[in-house]
Amino acid sequence: MTEVPKIVHDRLRAARPERALPEHPDANLLTAFAEQALSVTEREGVLAHLALCGDCRDVIALALPAADIVAAPMAAEGEAVRATAAPARAEINRLTARRFAWPSLRWAALAAGIAVVASVLLLRPGKLNQALPPSAKPQVATTAQPASGPQIASSAAASPPTDQSAVLAKTEEPQAKFALRPSKKIRAGQMVTPSHQAEHGTLLAENKAENKKDSGPAAMLSPAPTTGGRASAAPASPGATETVEVSSAAVAVEVAPSAEDSLMARNETPAIEKAKPAPPEMKVNEQQQTQAAFVVLTPAGSQGGNAMPTAKPAAPPSPTSARNITWTIAAGALQRSLDSGQSWQNALRADHPLLCYASHENDVWTGGQAGTLFHSADSGVTWVQVQPSIKGQQLSSDITHIDVRGPAEIAVFTNNHEIWRSADGGKTWDKK
Amino acid sequence: MAKSAQSGRGVDAATALYERSGAAAYGMSAEQFANVLDEIVRKYFNLAPNRAPSSISDSAHVSAEQKADFCAALRLEELALARACALGNERAWQDFISRYRQKLHSMALHITRDGAHAAELADSLFADLYGVNARDGVRSSKLVSYTGRGSLEGWLRTVMAQEFINRYRKQKRTVSLEEQTEEGVQFAAATPEPACTSDGLSGRRLEAAIDEALAELSAEDRFTLASYYLDGRTLAEIARMLRLHESSVSRRLDRLATGLRKRILAGLRAQGMSHAQATEALETDVRDMELNLRSRLTQDSGAATFPGSRKVPAQNAGDGSNDQQKP
Repeated sequence: MTEVPKIVHDRLRAARPERALPEHPDANLLTAFAEQALSVTEREGVLAHLALCGDCRDVIALALPAADIVAAPMAAEGEAVRATAAPARAEINRLTARRFAWPSLRWAALAAGIAVVASVLLLRPGKLNQALPPSAKPQVATTAQPASGPQIASSAAASPPTDQSAVLAKTEEPQAKFALRPSKKIRAGQMVTPSHQAEHGTLLAENKAENKKDSGPAAMLSPAPTTGGRASAAPASPGATETVEVSSAAVAVEVAPSAEDSLMARNETPAIEKAKPAPPEMKVNEQQQTQAAFVVLTPAGSQGGNAMPTAKPAAPPSPTSARNITWTIAAGALQRSLDSGQSWQNALRADHPLLCYASHENDVWTGGQAGTLFHSADSGVTWVQVQPSIKGQQLSSDITHIDVRGPAEIAVFTNNHEIWRSADGGKTWDKK
Repeated sequence: MAKSAQSGRGVDAATALYERSGAAAYGMSAEQFANVLDEIVRKYFNLAPNRAPSSISDSAHVSAEQKADFCAALRLEELALARACALGNERAWQDFISRYRQKLHSMALHITRDGAHAAELADSLFADLYGVNARDGVRSSKLVSYTGRGSLEGWLRTVMAQEFINRYRKQKRTVSLEEQTEEGVQFAAATPEPACTSDGLSGRRLEAAIDEALAELSAEDRFTLASYYLDGRTLAEIARMLRLHESSVSRRLDRLATGLRKRILAGLRAQGMSHAQATEALETDVRDMELNLRSRLTQDSGAATFPGSRKVPAQNAGDGSNDQQKP
């Protein structure tokens, strides 16, 4: 770090606040400053005061929230990050550094290379059907032309006989030589298409590397011609975007970690898809596939009719869980930042505007108008819509505040002053 | 006609805000809530006789749209909760306690890093919020000063941080001589005098050049410099305060340091000093700084001003003249 001459320190210190701004901004303005809620003029005024007033700078620093940051920041853009005193943080930095160390990258690159070669060989037109097992043949087909943008591959979820649940999964796919069943994707009531095209080689390598390593949900989500990938694929037809939907009542969104990484790296908005009733003939196949794949849906406790799905990703924790994730609500959407607020991306947008969020380690809950409530157990990689209900009565008021006190303990506050509590991660609820 | 239509829209907007806030459930009437909003608008638009320290605009003419936008951006639900608590509504207090009681302790622990002090700080703030202290026979709750500009939780953290700093100061002022001896304060060197500040004409020129260079910086740049060089904040802390990435702060500091040096040298040359003289003045000062830093680091070990701070205690400790204003 370049130093400045000491006399500059002295002149900085010599500029006493009494000379310029006799009164301190009140706690409201300092809070709004810290939360970026001030107008430009106000912010300039507060900053001018803070530049002179060490006491207010101390207040701002002490009042920084502790919970928002779940892990250490990345050393982005190749720049050395100054070490902090916190040992836990140093440990996380060390682990992060180790994760991206050369031996790991070497194996990842090798795996990616193998995956690229394998996918090119297996996905050639005319070869694909031969490579597929008979049960999966109708579900994958090649397209005549490349897709116009990054493609969304989806996987269906199991739907227990007594329940109607849905899981949608998506992963980003390079300009594809094949496509899955096209269907309508819904995000906040509109079609979702990733904003720009994926780069073929990079994305493919990323996806395949992740799939190789995890052999879990990511692998299952990938449309690569592995068993899981094929199993998760829906009947094919040409198209640019694809989703697979099963079930009717609830919504769950699953994003493959590899795709998540790709999206986040490009600052795209991950698509959120909503479940739609699936054709009955698809349900059977997809149920089998998904049970083997990545998501298990459970009915909502004892309230049989009111299904409340909870997704349990079978994958190991997402890579994003070890990163610096900051959350905020903006324009009715939940946004997250992986770089301490330098850039923001929409993490979740629902049909109704989101109003609040709460996070506890990897658990993130967000709520909004008309009882909209989503939960992610993996720092926003996958989302499950939760519909709190008790004795047939559903939460339908605006959710204005969420309090997460542990991995499974949550309290939801509404604008009509109801308090809904769950001690089991949203499976059963108690209303006050 | 147009005026009546405008007032009708205003009533609609006020009703919408009232409904959005959920204040009715806390027993607040629409009129009460409208008065609260009016008070806040007056405060931040400088319409009240006693002007707020920092406000949106100095203009007394604020359009209805501006006011409506301003009110719509407030945390209405939390504002209603806070004001209803201040009015003594029991249901509001139940909500407040269930939402924030536990968080207050977590916040206090985060600020004080000490369980006993945290409990004391949280309980004290809670008492202030509840309004244990009566003023002129009327119970006065600190929640009255919440205006909904930021989140209620953030406001509570800020108020707690202010309270902590005030307490720290008071505690420092009343520390006994024995404790000072234990802390080694009597061996501490006196606060070093600013170097090169009054060394004749060249010193004055140097000061003027530096002041000029600093004045050219934006408020955010000055804030960054002061946080890093004066307060000893880490890049991560500054980044979180400004919502930037650490690397951006690092780059900014490098740019500022380099730019300042260039500007100071240019300023000195403009005042008639040769390049060699100007450079020598600054370099001499850098050597002073290195010695000074070494001695300060020796004195400062384990005696940070606040948790997470590496500030030199002599700057603020014991100086009660600049206590934080309580909101």
